[in-house]
Amino acid sequence: MNFDAKPFLLFSNIENGLMHWLLVFGSFIGVIFAATVLIALGIYGVSGPVAVMGRVRQGLHDFVNLSPKRIWAISWLTIIEAVRRKALLVFVVFAFLMMFAGWFLDSDLRADLQVKNAVSFALTTVSWLTIPVLLLLSCWGIPEDIRVRSIHTVVTKPVRRNEIVMGRILGFATIAAGIVAMMGIVGYVWILRQVPNNASLICRVPVYGTLQFLDREGNVSEKGINTGDIWEFRSYIEGGSKASGAYKFSVDAPVDRIKLESRFEAFRTHKGRMGQSLLVRYVLVNPTKDLRVPLDSFEIKEFNLNEQYLERKLSFYDEARMEKRTVDLFDDVVDQNSLTIEVQCLDVGQYLGMARPDFFIRLPDRPFAVGYFKAVFGIWLLTVFIVSIGVTSSTFVKGPVATLLTFSLLIIGQGFREFMIKLITGVQKGGGPIESWYRLVTHMNDTLELPDNIGIKIMQGIDNVMLAGLWLMQHLIPDLTSFVMSPYVANGFDVPWNVAIFRSLAITIGYLVPCLLVGYYSLTLRELEAK
Amino acid sequence: METQSVIQIKNLTKIYRDFWGRKKVRALNSLSLDVKKGEVFGLLGPNGSGKTTTMKLLLGLLFPTEGEITVLGKPASDVSKNEWIGYLPEESYLYRFLNAEETLDFYGRLFDMSPQQRKERSNQLIELVGLQNARKRQLKEYSKGMTRRIGLAQALINNPDLILLDEPTSGLDPLGSRDMKDLIVKLKNEGKTVVMCSHLLADVQDVCDRIAILYAGELKELGRVDDLLKEQHETELLTSKLSPEAVADVEAVLAKHNAKLLRHGHPTNSLEDLFLKTVQKSQERPGQRFVPAASEKS
Ligand SMILES: Nc1ncnc2c1ncn2[C@@H]1O[C@H](COP(=O)(O)OP(=O)(O)OP(=O)(O)O)[C@@H](O)[C@H]1O
Ligand SMILES: [Mg+2]
Repeated sequence: MNFDAKPFLLFSNIENGLMHWLLVFGSFIGVIFAATVLIALGIYGVSGPVAVMGRVRQGLHDFVNLSPKRIWAISWLTIIEAVRRKALLVFVVFAFLMMFAGWFLDSDLRADLQVKNAVSFALTTVSWLTIPVLLLLSCWGIPEDIRVRSIHTVVTKPVRRNEIVMGRILGFATIAAGIVAMMGIVGYVWILRQVPNNASLICRVPVYGTLQFLDREGNVSEKGINTGDIWEFRSYIEGGSKASGAYKFSVDAPVDRIKLESRFEAFRTHKGRMGQSLLVRYVLVNPTKDLRVPLDSFEIKEFNLNEQYLERKLSFYDEARMEKRTVDLFDDVVDQNSLTIEVQCLDVGQYLGMARPDFFIRLPDRPFAVGYFKAVFGIWLLTVFIVSIGVTSSTFVKGPVATLLTFSLLIIGQGFREFMIKLITGVQKGGGPIESWYRLVTHMNDTLELPDNIGIKIMQGIDNVMLAGLWLMQHLIPDLTSFVMSPYVANGFDVPWNVAIFRSLAITIGYLVPCLLVGYYSLTLRELEAK
Repeated sequence: METQSVIQIKNLTKIYRDFWGRKKVRALNSLSLDVKKGEVFGLLGPNGSGKTTTMKLLLGLLFPTEGEITVLGKPASDVSKNEWIGYLPEESYLYRFLNAEETLDFYGRLFDMSPQQRKERSNQLIELVGLQNARKRQLKEYSKGMTRRIGLAQALINNPDLILLDEPTSGLDPLGSRDMKDLIVKLKNEGKTVVMCSHLLADVQDVCDRIAILYAGELKELGRVDDLLKEQHETELLTSKLSPEAVADVEAVLAKHNAKLLRHGHPTNSLEDLFLKTVQKSQERPGQRFVPAASEKS
């Protein structure tokens, strides 16, 4: 199991995210609206679209005039129901697992790996117990309410249907919050007790930079060398040449010393110096002042961390001026708030592998609890997401189907997303679906020009619509990978706000809004009779 | 003196469809009704004649296939009318995991009532339906009659102007149904409108001002209970117990006036007669239905 922090995952720019969301959401609503109007026109003539507009107006009215009291009443009902139906028994399972888990966790491992295992185990258990319970509760609540018709006594009160959907989601989210918080605290205490004496719980706060490679002649190149490793995550630089990886960090206020941490990978083409590891050197560069400050070389620890400190005053031998100099890290080396560090390998013929997250400035650590409870919060966010989808789908299908639907979305969002997107967009080769079919039938190579006639125009027009549909579909599939924050904590990192928390929060809200709309309309437009 | 209509139903047709949209049952066929403010209106009919369907349509729980419904001056689909409506479903579908107090408190919240109001009102209603001893017990432990009672209490939580009761006396003990009837009369005296359906014709006869009889989704009879039951060419006399001689004397007097004593004895439950007669007639002549007289038309 390997972990590489994902420091740069999208969403660096909230405006872009928002615009993108508006685009997807807008098209989604637009498509549904247009389809409804057309169908209504087809079935009822002119009065159809008029009725649709009436529904839209009614919907707006209902969303503007929500009553928090009524929403909370429904939430309260949801919570009481879960409690009285003994959903909280999941605690017992959790306590049981935690009580005996210690026996099965390997205590012969290296201390830091033991810590990692304990943290992963605790967080994974919390999410694996919470998610199924909430998934089932949220998918069966409304269908059961409709089946036994208790919903009849609710909707014949002045309750808006969106209040039912919101109340349900809020209720389940509250239950989830309770369960996750309790389990999180128990898990935390448990982890504290699992930590071996010679290890400690850490929460590192990294500042990542950008990475650029210089090839053996010293020219800028996109990537380093591929050593044929199956895993292309890292690029390699050649030792004993001008090749280097230039990391550029942004630094703000001057501090007395900066801590650098790295984990590079060695790729050996020969045995090299016996009993020794690769020799690596950092060179601080200020391109504007044409200043190069080489630091002392060091042997890298493979599969482990290298720690270095950059002091404020740096003494070094300036090869260009042929003299010993002392420079100030912030006044001389840092160039417009950015600190450039080139990483070089000094062993001829050996290769050093590096990727963006392999080298970072380590800010003062935070308490372990900070990272841990952020990850717990992440688990809660994921359950809120699931609950929103579950409740919404349960407004138009029965419990089992809703469960299946939500579960599939969860699985797809966890990792199969890329695969699904490929599957959906795979049709695009050789123009749109119809065009490629046409080419196939006419044995036409997909590089040939198509004849320019009206039939082809229509064909391509339809294709464009279909491609737009595919685009929309692929963007409706959620990416839930950012919700899983336990790897950060297990590997001793803090959970980053931007990459994990805000992103997951944005995804949750991004799906919640259309869910409310869909849930509202599907409850409003159907007769609440068990069918 | 024009009394206000609380419910107006025009040409209401309801066809139940299955999942694929195929027609299954024509539960209501072109029904037109008016319910005036302040009256107790009874919906009668054999099982499956469309009474419950009518109520659900009034509440917006079902959507009409055709026709128009106005309730309290608003379309049936308008949720805001529910502010003034109370509904007792055919079977009390409540939340089984709540107790009586929690149930009423929950429904009270749906009307944005303050905690104080909710507490007062639910105490009052628990008293009214006689569940003081079971107020802390979960509804899943309730007997059928107790469930009916709490169902009634939730229907009255908002002190509604229009009350729809679907078989209010079903499941109640004789005392309970007596209380129910008293309550309906009391509500009427408070100026509220009650629409109820029931199979217990005695109950209907006791409390209803007007009734409609449905058969297979069609309106077969509509009018004031008194008028409907009044046979125009018969007169009924009710006296204290008569000796056989007295009966003979009465017969003699009647003969003098060219009339005959058709029957004597205790007066019968004549709504039952009417009901049976209507159902029988409907079975014999399926096409026939009630056509409102000129005065009934608005
Ligand atoms: N959800 C439904 N789906 C399909 N058909 C239904 C549904 N509900 C009722 N029906 C049918 O509609 C007709 C009228 O039913 P309704 O419940 O209105 O009768 P009712 O007069 O209330 O009868 P009862 O006296 O038994 O309560 C019946 O034929 C019934 O089978
Ligand atoms: Mg019924």
